[in-house]
Amino acid sequence: MTAHTQTLSLTDRIGARTLAGLMALAIGSILVFGVGLANSQALHDAAHDTRHSYGFPCH
Amino acid sequence: MIVRLLLAALAAGLIAGMAMTPAQYVKTIPLIMQAEAYEGSGAGHSHGAGETAAAAAATPGHSHDAGDAHGAHGHDDESMLGFGRLGDTVLANLVAGAGFSLMLAAVALLTGIHFPVGREGLTRGVLLGAAAWFCVQLAPAMSLPPAVPGFPYADLGNRQIWWVVAVLMSGIGVWCIALRPEWPLKVLGLVVIVAPHLWGSPVPEDLSSEVPAYIASAYAAASLATTLFFWLLLGGLIGHFLSRVPEEAPA
Repeated sequence: MTAHTQTLSLTDRIGARTLAGLMALAIGSILVFGVGLANSQALHDAAHDTRHSYGFPCH
Repeated sequence: MIVRLLLAALAAGLIAGMAMTPAQYVKTIPLIMQAEAYEGSGAGHSHGAGETAAAAAATPGHSHDAGDAHGAHGHDDESMLGFGRLGDTVLANLVAGAGFSLMLAAVALLTGIHFPVGREGLTRGVLLGAAAWFCVQLAPAMSLPPAVPGFPYADLGNRQIWWVVAVLMSGIGVWCIALRPEWPLKVLGLVVIVAPHLWGSPVPEDLSSEVPAYIASAYAAASLATTLFFWLLLGGLIGHFLSRVPEEAPA
């Protein structure tokens, strides 16, 4: 009884495009949160002009 | 393929983010600096001691000195990252560009938008960028206009929550309208876009401000204009770069 265990990787199951999309969404959200929304004085000061220019709620 | 898709999106974001800094220094940042000269009398917000000379001259003894008490890092040449105000903004724009680009590419990948090689891919990218500008800039700006420093502000957390909800709902609405063929969904999309505005954004109790109205209105237009430039450029770059990633390419 030879069991052909074929392990499907995550990429095979949901597709490379979907996986790349989910990864991009996760990384992008973290970056945008850090620049635009994070409630840290240092981040706020550094990104101040960028936050205002993009219309993020600021102050 | 996954890595190449991510790198393509990252490259598009870094290029568009880099292009954003000169655009901001032409249009928005001069107005921010002008507004900061009026900021401080009553806004209860400070930016450290390093404001423009105009700020010190215009309102002597205003509350910017209090910046030493909470976060002494103003936007002077001694910013905490050590790059100066310009350097900080360049860096923040690069990170913002990369972040927005990855998220926009994610939307394209997850909603099944393909970019054919050549002009068609570029056109689709530009259209995607225009849709993103509507969702991220124009739609929230209709109830929560881009504001310069020194404006009266409602609670920051409430505004941030409203902003995020408005952006998400606008995105869902545009998806329903642009990418779904069923007409009931298109109607629903319109409702979803309008809903956060009917609910209402947080508005400060006292609307009076030291900042001249001319600066405020010029700023709102400048912010929408520069971000339109950013999103169209970003969309075009994403369309072009993603079209060059072969579907079957190994990671």
